[in-house]
Amino acid sequence: MTQKIQISSHLNQVISGKIDVYGFTKKVLTECQQINSKYHYFNTISDELALKQAQHLTKDIMKKVPQRLAGVPLSVKDCLCVKGVESTAGSRILKGYKPLFNATTVERCIQEGAIIIGKTSQDEFGFGSFNVNVGLGHDIPLNPFDTTRTTGGSSGGSCGLTQKSSFAHASLAESTGGSIACPAALCGVYGLCPTYGLVSRYGLIDYGSSLDKIGPVARSMEDIALLLDVIAGYDPLDSTSINFSALKNVSPPLKTPQTNYPAYLGKDVSKLKMGIVKEAFSEGVDESIQNNVWQVIKELESRGMTYEEISMPLTQKYGLAAYYFLAMGEASTNLAKLCGLRYGHHEPLEGDFNDYFTYVRSMHFGTEAKRRIMLGTFARMAGYREAYYLKAAQVRTKIIEEYKKTFKRYDALITPSMPVVAPKFSEIEQLTPLENYMMDILHVGPNLAGMPHLNIPSGFKGSVPIGTLLITDHLQEGTLVQIGSAI
Amino acid sequence: MAVIPTQPTQAVIIGLEIHAQVNTATKLFCSCPTQGSDKPNTRTCPVCLGHPGSKPVLNKKAVDAALKLALALRCTIAPHLVFSRKSYFYPDLAKNYQITQYELPLGKEGYLELSSGKKIGITRVHLEEDPASLVHPGTLTESGYVLIDYNRSGNPLVEIVTKPELELDEAREFMNQLVQVLEYLEIFDSGVGIIKADANISIKESGYVRSEVKNITGFKEIERALQYEVHRQHEAVSNHESLAQDTRAWDSAKGITLRLRGKETEEDYGYIIDPDLVPLPLPQNYIHELKAQLPEFGNTKIQRFVQQYRVSHEDAVVLAQEKKLAGLFETLAAHRNPVLVAQWLRRELLRVMHYNELTFNTYHVNERHLAELLEMVEKKEITDAVGKKILEQLMVKPVSPREYVKQHRLAMVSDTKHLEAVCTEAIQENTKAVEDYQRGEEKALNFLVGVVMKKAKGTTNPVIVRESLKKILKA
Repeated sequence: MTQKIQISSHLNQVISGKIDVYGFTKKVLTECQQINSKYHYFNTISDELALKQAQHLTKDIMKKVPQRLAGVPLSVKDCLCVKGVESTAGSRILKGYKPLFNATTVERCIQEGAIIIGKTSQDEFGFGSFNVNVGLGHDIPLNPFDTTRTTGGSSGGSCGLTQKSSFAHASLAESTGGSIACPAALCGVYGLCPTYGLVSRYGLIDYGSSLDKIGPVARSMEDIALLLDVIAGYDPLDSTSINFSALKNVSPPLKTPQTNYPAYLGKDVSKLKMGIVKEAFSEGVDESIQNNVWQVIKELESRGMTYEEISMPLTQKYGLAAYYFLAMGEASTNLAKLCGLRYGHHEPLEGDFNDYFTYVRSMHFGTEAKRRIMLGTFARMAGYREAYYLKAAQVRTKIIEEYKKTFKRYDALITPSMPVVAPKFSEIEQLTPLENYMMDILHVGPNLAGMPHLNIPSGFKGSVPIGTLLITDHLQEGTLVQIGSAI
Repeated sequence: MAVIPTQPTQAVIIGLEIHAQVNTATKLFCSCPTQGSDKPNTRTCPVCLGHPGSKPVLNKKAVDAALKLALALRCTIAPHLVFSRKSYFYPDLAKNYQITQYELPLGKEGYLELSSGKKIGITRVHLEEDPASLVHPGTLTESGYVLIDYNRSGNPLVEIVTKPELELDEAREFMNQLVQVLEYLEIFDSGVGIIKADANISIKESGYVRSEVKNITGFKEIERALQYEVHRQHEAVSNHESLAQDTRAWDSAKGITLRLRGKETEEDYGYIIDPDLVPLPLPQNYIHELKAQLPEFGNTKIQRFVQQYRVSHEDAVVLAQEKKLAGLFETLAAHRNPVLVAQWLRRELLRVMHYNELTFNTYHVNERHLAELLEMVEKKEITDAVGKKILEQLMVKPVSPREYVKQHRLAMVSDTKHLEAVCTEAIQENTKAVEDYQRGEEKALNFLVGVVMKKAKGTTNPVIVRESLKKILKA
């Protein structure tokens, strides 16, 4: 894994002219085709766009325009809009939707010279933990270490490709309830999910708008820090994007926001305090994973960090339920617009609008999408709204308070990212929907509370990887980079 | 379920839910223009078309407009501006949900005072986005398909909900006053903006069994629909038909309301707070600032005009109807006799503007020219007739009235010798009329006055002509 080339060394070669970007990009696209035919990491490979960008870039490099991602092949989760490139969030209902604009994150990477190589596979709209809930007509991505196993989801394509590619590569992924931490852990790559609002959601095909976060997936902490630095920051096109200058009067007061993430790489960790969340080292979590994460803790202790075992009972008990009510409630309204009328998949017009919408939605949404639309709609109907949707929102506030209280005493929390290593597809088939949802138990807390978190590949069980999860307080991504680069 | 009337003696009980388009330059959640090309689907973007990935960004100008309206209607202002998603499937909704306000409207519990002194309760004032418009080729019932035009999609609307406590004529006055308030605030253009209403209506004779008439478009239509529905309910009662609570549509072409569905099952819109938008704090100091910007409204102006300028109440009511007219009156009344100014604006200016199909929104009155004209009228440098003629001329092209009078020799004839000469000429040319007059026919004198006036091109005044003719004929 570490032998594979990283973005920083690739950049040096591009800038010094040792790599011909156009020729290199062609090779990259060929390799993508090869990998994809076996592993299904792409919904679309954007050859045309990539080659056009490579051509422009060659001129820019000659003009010595300083760019931080010059010539870096970047894949993008399918739910992120790329102008002119089919963007479907993995759903057949959006087949043919070519956005008129770039997502802000995509645009920022392009401005820095990144080459967009394609749209990566995901659970339809992000609805899953194992990337098996792909949209109708889509292939399930396979684990880069063992093709009988899952990549994890929902950013399975991004994480699988990041592990598998021989070329320097990073990916823009997205997490609503754990869709970065989970597949990053199961594919053995770094994945950082930032504070809610730090990275613009403009151009993201929404799942649960109050929970969706876009973050980088890469093969090293250096690459993560660099990519996060490019995509983070205020965007007036997203009303929920954080404007640091307006943060002064927030109550309760925030810790000073950390910026310039690469500056935290390799920074001394000896003064930092860890909280070890007891509930994450209990029954139901694979013992070899527990042992592996304890090794990581001991390693950090040897670097001078201290730790204490703590408990987060509220998050443990109610986090998952609150998350699913909110996420599904929001998803059921976000997905309402998809009805085969203005874009995406069309059918011959027959019957009245109700017949038509019903037909299109019945035909082209997958099973899990339908389940979440129905559950989400139910949870916000009169009579249930108070009991479920509104209650879940109150619980979220309580859980944020629990985290805030904890982060007064600790710089970071540490747990396993997943209770299991990548399961075999045959095992996944045996799970009930509820057992499926339970897979999010370890990383759903920080997702619900909007806390930044990072998966660090920390070992293997047999042939498949184990991931350690670091969680910090709002806008403390620097600390994640600091600790992540110390492991 | 019958509405329990606030005054159980009320013959008709009407509650209104009014939507008016706020005249911001851009839409509520994107930067598309609200006015411009009428070519379908040209004033659109990914946001107002609901494209996946697009996100709404609030237009603060629309918020200010709605807040000013809520303040003008004496509402309590919410501490935060919060938007909700109202979910239902309909082709005119780009996202299949409408961004509106639900739990926390920006204004609540206000009132509007009618001329009778009765205060009509305002339940809520809120801000929301307009859906697209549906075009049914042919007629609504016969059209085989429908076309959707998203130009309107995302336009800002204010919704005003009254308590059910209006009588029929009060409903008319309420609408009038509300439009006046909107125009005084300069947040609505009655020429361009659309006003719509849903109305619930019931009559005493039925025990106040309520019908709700949905989606009536336009000021005049609202009045027609209310009148029709009250009439229909009375007819039903006198024919011993039992009225049932229902929801109805207004068919403007036929001038009738049509039953859509029966006893209303509360539609469930599954409201959630819109997670793409953040609550906007509405701090006290900001609200005070907006309050300070509110203009003096029509009702206050009427009283002040009567007291300060001694104009008649009727004149004051007309002058205060439009902010620009009221302003024009005060500017002119500062230098000229206010009563004269009031009469000229009310009777003459409004008449010629109406004749030329001009409104204060479409036509800019040249104050300097008007001041000049009224000065000449007041100083009797020209006759009223000439003054009116010049006013008509001003609508066509802007000219200095003084120059115009000079050019066309329209100054009042003060030279009595010249007038007597014209009168003598008229007498000599119309011997028949002179004979009739001398035989005692007063009408014949009127005829002669007319002849003289014609010869003098209106530069003299008929009373003087009459006296002059009498004098000559007596001699």
